[in-house]
Amino acid sequence: MSDDTPPPDPKAFADPPQPEEIDLSRTHGSILREHNEPAEGRESVPLWLVGLIMALVFWGGLYLAYYSGGFRADAFLPRKDMTGGGDDLRDPSMLGKRVFMQSCVLCHQADGLGIPRVYPPLAGSEWVLGNEWRGDNHLVAIVLRGLQGPVEVRGTVFNNAMPGWARLRDDEVAAVLSYIRSEWGNTGAPISAEFVKTVREQTAQRETPWSPGELQAIARTVAPPPTPEPTVSPAAPSVAPEGVIQKARR
Amino acid sequence: MSDLLRSLDPGTPSDPRSYVERAEIDASLRGPVLLFFCSGIAWLLLGSLLGTLAAFKMSFPHLLDSADWLTFGRVRPAHLNIMIYGWASSVGIGVGIWLMARLCRVALRHRGLLMGAGVVWNLGVLIGTVGILAGQSRSIEWLEFPGWATPVLFLGYALIGVWGVIMFRFRRPGHVYVSQWYLLAAFLWFPWLYATANTLLIWQPVQGSVVGAVNWWYGHNVLGLWFTPIGLASAYYMIPKVIGRPIHSYYLSILGFWSLAFFYSWNGMHHLIGGPFPAWMISASVVASIMMFIPVLTVAINHHSTMRGHFHYLKWSPTLRFTVVGAMTYTLVSLQGSLMAIPSLNNLTHFTDYTIGHAHLGLYGFFTMTMFGAMYYIVPRLVGWEWPSATMIRWHFWLATSGIAIMVASLTLGGFLQGLELNDPEVLDFLSSVRVVAPFRFIRACSGILLSAAHLVFAVLFIRMLLRHGVRQVGPALFSAPEKPGDLPAV
Amino acid sequence: MNRLPLLFVGILLVFSTSWIGLVAYPYLNLGHLAPGTSSDGLVPPPMTASAIAGEHVYAANGCIYCHSQQVRPAWLSTDIQKGLGPRQTVARDYIRQSPTFLGTMRSGPDLSNIALRQPLPGWHYQHLYEPDMVTAGSIMPSFRFLFRVQPVQGQPSLEAVTVRGPHAPPSGYEVVPTQDARDLVAYLLSLKHDYPLPEAPEPPKAKK
Repeated sequence: MSDDTPPPDPKAFADPPQPEEIDLSRTHGSILREHNEPAEGRESVPLWLVGLIMALVFWGGLYLAYYSGGFRADAFLPRKDMTGGGDDLRDPSMLGKRVFMQSCVLCHQADGLGIPRVYPPLAGSEWVLGNEWRGDNHLVAIVLRGLQGPVEVRGTVFNNAMPGWARLRDDEVAAVLSYIRSEWGNTGAPISAEFVKTVREQTAQRETPWSPGELQAIARTVAPPPTPEPTVSPAAPSVAPEGVIQKARR
Repeated sequence: MSDLLRSLDPGTPSDPRSYVERAEIDASLRGPVLLFFCSGIAWLLLGSLLGTLAAFKMSFPHLLDSADWLTFGRVRPAHLNIMIYGWASSVGIGVGIWLMARLCRVALRHRGLLMGAGVVWNLGVLIGTVGILAGQSRSIEWLEFPGWATPVLFLGYALIGVWGVIMFRFRRPGHVYVSQWYLLAAFLWFPWLYATANTLLIWQPVQGSVVGAVNWWYGHNVLGLWFTPIGLASAYYMIPKVIGRPIHSYYLSILGFWSLAFFYSWNGMHHLIGGPFPAWMISASVVASIMMFIPVLTVAINHHSTMRGHFHYLKWSPTLRFTVVGAMTYTLVSLQGSLMAIPSLNNLTHFTDYTIGHAHLGLYGFFTMTMFGAMYYIVPRLVGWEWPSATMIRWHFWLATSGIAIMVASLTLGGFLQGLELNDPEVLDFLSSVRVVAPFRFIRACSGILLSAAHLVFAVLFIRMLLRHGVRQVGPALFSAPEKPGDLPAV
Repeated sequence: MNRLPLLFVGILLVFSTSWIGLVAYPYLNLGHLAPGTSSDGLVPPPMTASAIAGEHVYAANGCIYCHSQQVRPAWLSTDIQKGLGPRQTVARDYIRQSPTFLGTMRSGPDLSNIALRQPLPGWHYQHLYEPDMVTAGSIMPSFRFLFRVQPVQGQPSLEAVTVRGPHAPPSGYEVVPTQDARDLVAYLLSLKHDYPLPEAPEPPKAKK
């Protein structure tokens, strides 16, 4: 460590007075009681700290080598084998509620009662449960393609628009409809993914939401009861007599 | 070398010329530093008010919700920017200039220009704040001031930063102390950060997710390469100065300084773990965040070893108490931050109030408390008066400490619970994460009242100092009397 | 460490490593990304002028302080399982946004794919006017100042927002959105990332 500093600026503190000439009576006590300006001691760096630093540098290098996706600008995964995050361990029986809570809840609300005169209720709704002319196919068609125009639900007229949810999978539509049919005191039959697939194919040409009149013109069909799920071990999917693969019970 | 050797032995009575020199330096700094302190405290009061309001709005969303300029989305960034640029930067500049002048042993000349710079700086903060409330916020975190306010700030800063570097250039020959490295670095880093961020985000905006990378490179580096060096420079000065012992190890100081400079600047992406960036950027920041253990532990060892055997000074000295609380909080919040950067832990804390607690622990628990300590030391020397009321200092300390402790505790616990709900795939209702954190947010809002009260007390005390209020005292205002009656601590 | 030139160079050199690594290099690599193509056109699709204006309204009112816009990857988080989007968001998803509103808080839900979850402008107008009207228990503040309450001129306006509750307009009056509200909703309805991109990692297949 050298004191190779620039020469002192002569104007910075020109002609300092001699110690005997200095009158400190007007210098404030806060300055007079100060210690000298601080300085640094010469203790050495502890060995354990050096060891820790080396260990951290080693770890850091490994991490960078291992988890940087090859330093590519288009590598958004640290390592190519880190895709899926493991099995989807969510309870499959909650699929319907999950779908409901992602989108449907925003209008129809968590209690299924909608918002009075704005969004219709699902609890006790004849559209959900089916009646003389409303069937399961109408319900699936509404979810797939939407509904708009004045609609009467449980005696109240609603004039709003519901979008179609064709981007949902068949099993998701089936699950959410089965959910709303069994929630909030509703007691309706569940709906199967195959039935949704059938209605989806039947309404494939539909590009705009239905009006109630257009729906009423479609004949009523009821979904076949879903085949009871056989109790098998989780590993083996079972094949029902119709040749359709059923969801294995976990 | 003889300067160094002499200064290592605090028992040696100082040459009376050094008292005169210090008095001259302090006198030359009086105007500018007091200007920065005054404006800083004014912004602190306004910022505390806005912060408390924003906090209560989270608990009572309909509170003052008709006016557009008072909507949460404007009040919150106004609070943030006032605290960063109005309070923390102003008082940091004031403390930094005083420390640099004292350590370089150079009196300030052309102080009118520095005061003008301070006025320009505050003007920039004012018009920026008005801009945010008027609906011109850029919504780039830590850079919300509209594009027409930032050049004003930059101009003000340019004048200030240049002064700091010039002071260093014309320093007296002798050993360069660690605080001077930190201050020189801070004065150089900030304009580079500010210019880059403003250019790439506001004046010639970049495309897409690079905005996020530049944003958080800037935001984290303002904390780590502007505020932290000033806070550490102050702690490195105040601790040995008050207790009259040298800092434990020059080599630890060097290690701490350069490792901070290198690793801290790579941390920015840890605000964006899981974000739309190539994996290498995020991994680099994760590694750099863990490597921060090195400078943080280094500084902690250095400070602690210096303090060892002298912790009883904390009973008396306001300067030391605020500074040591700040320095210990620095260690705590930095270690917390390093752990938060581990991806599996980050998954839980990201997007929650936990992060807000961490931010306040750093900016308030470390930086603000350290600045309070510095101001308790510096102001008597500028004004030529002792603090008129130890009782008020006591109130300031306990209100501030309890306020920040309650705030951080409530946000940390609440944020943790919020994170559990947000990340649980079986929790289907988003609002459950809102409900679980609600009581903690209310407690946090109440802590804002404590902090605002602390700042009010300090502001009143500061005004009394400026007016030289109270009875002329001999000796410093202390929390309690020293054991030996003749023992006047050098606070 | 006593010489100004040494300190000066060291301070700037050390800092420049991160300036190069986290700013300049990413700018070169990611700052000029071109959109991809799909059967429906460019991906991400261009935004309408109204949606671009809506970004300014989003910025002016600080939506980012409660809402994030990034779907984190499946190996790290449960974002995809929670339905925030069909896949993680990548750099190219944000090339239309200026600035990008990645956000750092989820006091409110993530909005990356809000247009997929709620494609109805009418719901968005209601939600902005009075959030707890459509979401009970919401802590989102009201944005009534983005709307105008005006007397009904003959027929109700086609744009009138259906409002119930304490802030419903008196009878004979209706609530209509200002241009700011229209622009903001246009922006929100542009927020969806359901198109595939080659660099975006495939999300995990759902178990049936």
